[in-house]
Amino acid sequence: MEPISTEIVVLGAGPGGYAAAFYAADKGKKVMLVEQNPRLGGICLNVGCIPSKALLHAAEVLREAKDSAHRGIEFGHPKIDLDKLRTWKESILDKLGQGVAGLAKQRGVQVVHGRGHFEDSQTLRVETSDGQKFIRYEKAVIAVGSKPAMPNAFDLGNKRVMTSTEALELPDIPQDLLVVGGGYIGMELGTVYAALGSNVVVLEALPSILTGVDPDLVRPVARAAQKAFKEIRVNTKVQKMATAGKQIKVTLEIDKQPREELYDRVLVSVGRAPNLADLGLENTKVTKDDKGFIQCNDRQQTEDPNIYAIGDVNGGVLLAHRAAKEARIAVEAMLGEASTFDNVVIPAVVYTDPEVAWCGLTETEAKAKNIEVKVAKFLWGASGRALTLDRTDGLTKLIIEPETERILGVGIAGAHAGDLISEGVLAVEMGATARDLAETVHPHPTLSETLMEAAESFYGTATHTFSRRTP
Amino acid sequence: MDVKLPQLAEGVEGGTVVSILVAEGQEVKKDQAIMELETQKAVGSIPSPSAGVVTKIHVKQGMEVSVGQLLISIEGGGPQSAASVKPTQAPASSAAPAADASAPRAATPTAAAKSAEDYRYESKSGAPPPAPPSIRKIAREIGLDLTRVRGSEAGGRINLADVRAYIQRLQDISGQGSSQSGGAQSTTAPMTTPGESVDFSKWGPVRREKLSPLRRTVSRRMVESWTSIPKINQFWEADITSLLALRKKHAGAYEKKGAHLTLTSFLLFVLARALKKHPRANSSLDESSQEIIYKDYIHIGVAVDTEGGLIVPILRNVDQKSLLQLSEELHTLTEKTRQRKISIEELQGGTFTISNQGSIGGSHFTPIIYAPQVAILGVGQGQSKPVAVDGKIAIRTILPVCLAYDHRALDGADAVRFLKDVVAGVETFDEAGLKLK
Repeated sequence: MEPISTEIVVLGAGPGGYAAAFYAADKGKKVMLVEQNPRLGGICLNVGCIPSKALLHAAEVLREAKDSAHRGIEFGHPKIDLDKLRTWKESILDKLGQGVAGLAKQRGVQVVHGRGHFEDSQTLRVETSDGQKFIRYEKAVIAVGSKPAMPNAFDLGNKRVMTSTEALELPDIPQDLLVVGGGYIGMELGTVYAALGSNVVVLEALPSILTGVDPDLVRPVARAAQKAFKEIRVNTKVQKMATAGKQIKVTLEIDKQPREELYDRVLVSVGRAPNLADLGLENTKVTKDDKGFIQCNDRQQTEDPNIYAIGDVNGGVLLAHRAAKEARIAVEAMLGEASTFDNVVIPAVVYTDPEVAWCGLTETEAKAKNIEVKVAKFLWGASGRALTLDRTDGLTKLIIEPETERILGVGIAGAHAGDLISEGVLAVEMGATARDLAETVHPHPTLSETLMEAAESFYGTATHTFSRRTP
Repeated sequence: MDVKLPQLAEGVEGGTVVSILVAEGQEVKKDQAIMELETQKAVGSIPSPSAGVVTKIHVKQGMEVSVGQLLISIEGGGPQSAASVKPTQAPASSAAPAADASAPRAATPTAAAKSAEDYRYESKSGAPPPAPPSIRKIAREIGLDLTRVRGSEAGGRINLADVRAYIQRLQDISGQGSSQSGGAQSTTAPMTTPGESVDFSKWGPVRREKLSPLRRTVSRRMVESWTSIPKINQFWEADITSLLALRKKHAGAYEKKGAHLTLTSFLLFVLARALKKHPRANSSLDESSQEIIYKDYIHIGVAVDTEGGLIVPILRNVDQKSLLQLSEELHTLTEKTRQRKISIEELQGGTFTISNQGSIGGSHFTPIIYAPQVAILGVGQGQSKPVAVDGKIAIRTILPVCLAYDHRALDGADAVRFLKDVVAGVETFDEAGLKLK
């Protein structure tokens, strides 16, 4: 069969893959985009960021309705139509998926649906519904993403043991739900199911939920979750699981004592693994690290000079916006531009209730690396806007280099932290100082003022908090 | 860890080791002074960047050292080796090797560039130099190592003008070719083109004395000013008879407060008001950005004659101070300068300079502008002269003054208007200004 020739082939149409394909096409390249899923958009759009945020919005409405009672507004008990909720969520995914497909068409990016397999460093075989197709490329971008990890011990072949992918399908509202893993995925989906009415128990093997996040940023989330969830158990491990009729029998280890509990469903959220099985990488020069992620340089180039890799397949922080940035770098590198993934600030957002977001250097990281920093904090209890939103459970903090007063990192816990962090990212990217942030007028009353006030507090002059420290 | 000589201040590239305050094997605390260094205009101490034990001292007393040179080695001081220096405001000035890892893989500058500018951005936190993404992109594209570019904005942030200035400097250096190959040493004493060497001992005995760092700075500054500034000298004669009478009347009250009421303090008082009215005389030119920089502060330098030579300490915010404050501060500052206890900081940031030679003698003279300032007032000795007052000859005390100004910043009319206000301020000094509160 005669192979199809293209300049660039992108494998995987997630937020990294389609960004790479579109950018390369915008730069005048002939591009093919290979995707096995009928709907474009990858994990982010289909079984990740977007559906989870749709459900979290619904959860927030439920919580707000409940919390309104003490403000004098009562709605009564909510009636949840799961089918309708699911349909609404799906409609968003369809709209976005069609949007991506439309953008591909407008740019002349040829989309090939099917599973890709590298034959060699210049040929990709795609198994499509109309048989095999061979694509002869000059450069390839691997952007096939990751999938939820499912340890063998938990893999009972029972649908009641779910990963995030199944949990986002909303099969039902289990009365008792066990979430194994208190990372961001477990906490976000736990929030959804708790709001829908499940008794949620979160298990975390480590001493804290959201491991790695600064403890003071985790505190508001832990406090809210303790109220919304049935229980959060840290330092707890699951020994085994077994099917028990219509339930799952889970054997836990608490204080070295085994204990058996029954749950209607279990959500396993213990990490993600790259989708690199059966990709034919052995036919190329691409190498993997000991965790199974692809190794590439800061120009996103793998050991195979023709093949670039972006996004979750490279390990590190598995975030859509990192993949999108790497997509730009990979394309620019292919075009011979001097781009590198160097000194790039990648913000992280956890969409719990309240949200947590941070960027740049964290206080935890500074401590671990023995970096001397000053931390300026502003508690939301002093924010007028936070009070009007009835969300004073927040905190904004800046990590500052003492000599230069340069902002090295920003952390926010509180409502809309995810939307607020961008200003922090800009500050860090621009090399802004605390003075820059303090001198920038922020509209009143907004939550964004908390960034300015945190900077002012560094100088001991925050308007809405009193500091005894003389400046 | 190795402690290297940090960047002491803008334009200060090295100095002479006056004394070494630690010994090998000695334990030092963080920020403990390890040695004293005579830089161009002051003696300052170098603090230890970390605690530990001194394992080796690499310099000797009397040795000339330049920025980046290895001074001492300390052991057990932890991984951060950043020797920032106390008396400067220069951020991130140190000699840690840590930042190299994060430095972009850019082309290394030429050897010539190295000798001219040994600046290297170092951050205790190991962060790369602060620069917006747009500037970092430009740097990557042209293969520029941003750790070598000195940022002028808050926190040392690098902007496009800084990159331009750096490139301009590289070009200037490459244009000079191989004649300048003496390493950092040569920049400490660039007497521009050294004249032909003459053997003076042919005609009699001679004595040679090495130029002190201070003398070298003075000579370099003067040549720079002389060759780069299109300068005009504007003469005037001010009648200070009534001012002297006022001084006589109030001198006693000032003495009681421990302050000397001098002509220079009056001049400072008057100049501050005139500079406020004529901000251009208080400005600087930025040729790289083709901008004139107006300063909203008035810091006046006062030329002080010391045993070691000319030093110009700065009086800050002159416009906000009373005559009493000015008299007191001027006295303290002058004394501190004569004793060479002045810090580098106190010599920086001047916006205008006054050089009063009247106490020694002499009439009009043409002072040299202290770049990047744009004007300087030279004051001679007041002398009794017969002058016409209201059509009659009278004996008055006449002060010869000369305003030297940079014609790029000020036109003749601007300068005369400014000087006219200064002279008027002196001639009709308002007695209210003398009141002690």
